[in-house]
Amino acid sequence: MAGIVGIYAFDKLWRMARFTYYSLLALQHRGQESAGLVTCHDEGLIDYKGRGNVDRIFYEEKLTAMTGWMSIGCVDAEVRPNQSIQPIIVSRPIRLAFCMDGKAVNWNRLAVEEGISAESDVEAIAKILSKYIENFGPSEGALKLLEVLSGGYCFIALTERKEMIVARSPSGLKPMVIGSFGFDYGIVASESCAIDVIGAEYKADILPGEVYLFTPYSIERARAPKSKVTYCSFEYVYLARPDSYINDVSVYDARTKIGEVLAEEYPVDGDVIIGVPETAIPFAIAYSNKTKIPLAMGFVRTGPHVRSAIKPTQFERLVGVQLKLNPIKSAIRGKRLILIDDSVVRGNTTKNTVTLMRNKLGVKEVHVRIGSPKIISHCPFGVEVPPEDELIARHLTDEEVAAVVGADSFHWLSVDGLVKAIGFPRNMLCLGCFTGEYPPCHKG
Amino acid sequence: MVKVLVIGDASREHAITDAFFRSVHEPRIYAAMSRRNPGITRLSKQSGGDIAIGDINNPEFIVKVAKDFNVDFAFVGPEEPLFHGVADALEELGIPCVGAKRQMALVEMSKAFMRRLMWKYKVPGRLRFKAFKSLETAVAYVNEYAESVAIKPARQAGGKGVKVIADLQVYLSKEKREVKKEHVKAVYEKHMAVYDDIDDKVLIEERVEGPEYTLQVFTDGRHVLPLPAVQDNKNAYEMDIGPETGGMGSISGPGWLLPFLTEEEYRRSVEIIQGVIDALWKETGVRYKGVISGQMMLTALWGPTIIEFYSRFGDPEACNVLPYMEADIVEISEAIIDERLNTIKISFPDIATVVKAVAPKGYPDYRDLAKGHPVRIDEETIRRKGCKVYYGSLDERPDGVVVTAGSRIAEIVAAAPTIPEASNIVEGCIQYVGLLDGWGTFHRSDIGSEVLLRKRIEQAQLIREIYRYRASRGLIGKTIDWIPGKGKIEYEF
Repeated sequence: MAGIVGIYAFDKLWRMARFTYYSLLALQHRGQESAGLVTCHDEGLIDYKGRGNVDRIFYEEKLTAMTGWMSIGCVDAEVRPNQSIQPIIVSRPIRLAFCMDGKAVNWNRLAVEEGISAESDVEAIAKILSKYIENFGPSEGALKLLEVLSGGYCFIALTERKEMIVARSPSGLKPMVIGSFGFDYGIVASESCAIDVIGAEYKADILPGEVYLFTPYSIERARAPKSKVTYCSFEYVYLARPDSYINDVSVYDARTKIGEVLAEEYPVDGDVIIGVPETAIPFAIAYSNKTKIPLAMGFVRTGPHVRSAIKPTQFERLVGVQLKLNPIKSAIRGKRLILIDDSVVRGNTTKNTVTLMRNKLGVKEVHVRIGSPKIISHCPFGVEVPPEDELIARHLTDEEVAAVVGADSFHWLSVDGLVKAIGFPRNMLCLGCFTGEYPPCHKG
Repeated sequence: MVKVLVIGDASREHAITDAFFRSVHEPRIYAAMSRRNPGITRLSKQSGGDIAIGDINNPEFIVKVAKDFNVDFAFVGPEEPLFHGVADALEELGIPCVGAKRQMALVEMSKAFMRRLMWKYKVPGRLRFKAFKSLETAVAYVNEYAESVAIKPARQAGGKGVKVIADLQVYLSKEKREVKKEHVKAVYEKHMAVYDDIDDKVLIEERVEGPEYTLQVFTDGRHVLPLPAVQDNKNAYEMDIGPETGGMGSISGPGWLLPFLTEEEYRRSVEIIQGVIDALWKETGVRYKGVISGQMMLTALWGPTIIEFYSRFGDPEACNVLPYMEADIVEISEAIIDERLNTIKISFPDIATVVKAVAPKGYPDYRDLAKGHPVRIDEETIRRKGCKVYYGSLDERPDGVVVTAGSRIAEIVAAAPTIPEASNIVEGCIQYVGLLDGWGTFHRSDIGSEVLLRKRIEQAQLIREIYRYRASRGLIGKTIDWIPGKGKIEYEF
């Protein structure tokens, strides 16, 4: 999983490096392993990237020194070898910078067919795109790539010929939106929060299968032949920021709806409701509004915002969770607690939390409600889900999970409940991690 | 037999010529053009008139044409001939002109004159502004003060050189300030470099936001005769993305209003324009005879607010209203000339109209690329499908081949009960305008769409709530700022 952004100014006065930086900051929740940005000016492409969080990689002086009125950037949750940190630059036949969110399931086979050697999926796909652009032109080349590349992905490429090519896979699995700033520049990004943060205006979704080509004298739109659209449901549960719109649906609205459905499906009497920051807060607010049980602020975070679920190692995940979970004792002590979290993957962090609640804070009862259905299967589209033998929900019943984590009751949102909360028909959503059934674009 | 001279060679003038052609008085139409627009040429010839090609900004040329053709009056389409005193020259010769005299056309030509006039006579819908003569003081101002601003050439410069920058994120201020400074320089060195007919060089105005619309009126300098409100769409590309153009299309109606404009707002817009006409009379003692258009915006400050004036019809806005106007343009012209415009009634069918422009790739910023491509317009099919087509920036070469001249090729207009329906009808005709050498064209399919309309309505509702709230607190025409360390500053508008 990754967050990507591209900004294209219509006149050369603009320097887009710092704008890209702030957009990446807004997309930080989509990837915290590495980040990079590339600008393009008359002399060509310049890149700047590193490992870790956006605000630790990019320095003031260097951003100021980067000229260029076109820029793309990426935050990545995947750990990649140095030369594959996104955006990557390929030199031949067309020199271009490239970044993508999501996964193509058949890139390996395509690379072999095209006689391309590459160390990673992004490198292979960038090279194939470069070749297609050379052979078919930028817009047709990107369309051709969408036709042959299976999976769920979005990508942005910036060529040295000053074209920005933006594409969303025909499945529409990964989100992508477009916005603008007056007459001055256009922006595309994984989520609308990256558009808001730089003061630009969100305009619309890039449609599944759609290609946008920005050139100095046009913006052209083209669309790949229609295929089955399946939006990622996990974006609404966990991945996206609540201030974003994904597929024209407010993520915040979907999350409050999840909280309401959770209250309808699994009501329980209690004294106070606590949401685990950050993602579960809207669930908790809505659960509280629905049940009239008061909501309390349960935890305070230490250090920067860490997305524990997308950290690659168990140690980092635990550090992440514990740093964000120092409880406010007086809000909790001696109460019957309804604890709302966004997801449970292995169960051990929930177990730690519940144990802490009971042993140190003396709560009377702990009822755990999870704002996502059981995660029982892997994600072929790049969301970091651990191996299936580690997934607690795949192997234990709700009662067993309750016993393991030490909760008085424990319930997940139902898959139907999630579908209802998001509001799209079930066949338009990818629910693969909850059901093990994947959309057709899964097959290479 | 009335003989009229139409000056200008774009789509707007084609629509004006067409209006004369439909007059029951069957005037002979003569056209003065810088380039041979085939649409205007054909109508002129069919009416028994003729055309003359030359520099329409040169009053001597126009005077000669008017004398040669012995016309009864002239009707000026574009602004530059007015700025160059074409109306003055014709009147000196005793040929009446529907078109502002130079001094009147200053409302468009000099944005600083227009703002000063509005402030002096306290016409509502004003914005705060500063005009600069020297580059140094303008740059110094941007360095020290300017936050969210519109930076404009102080003169009308063919619609180019306007930059509006919202500077609301302090973390991006440095970058934006650089752009503002560089743009101020560009205005001096590029956009204003070719003009020496006004003293001010650059205008910096407070930036406002809201839905824009154009109100076009006929005036005889005493009365105004307004036309239905029209909304132009300036961004080059779909969904309001892309650089500023002269307008990629416009919508109007149903009826006199727009879906996002109330009757009250329309009425106040007319009052603002009447206020400026009165101010011009008081200021100069000259009657404004011709067309004046307010490029307006609903703002939180005032509701209806003036962004700019045109001393003529808008283009493409003229093409929304002229084809459907239920009044005779010969009679209107004569009433303007005789200062009895109050005797004329204009009505419109209760319909919506949509205009879309087709432009060659390269427009608006790379016009050299957009020039010289042979054009194909299947007028017959377009008409059969229920649309009218007005020829735009085209040139008919001596060998009869029609080529692009760098701007919009043609404007296609249709009417229907609703805007989206009219938009669909126009969409069906876009393919009949193209280029024969394979060079690309573009247009905006989203103009008049439900989606875009909904956005405009939502935006207008937001703004309307703010200005109404401000009105309820007695804050219209006033701003109150608190500058930490300096105190409260009140601006009375």
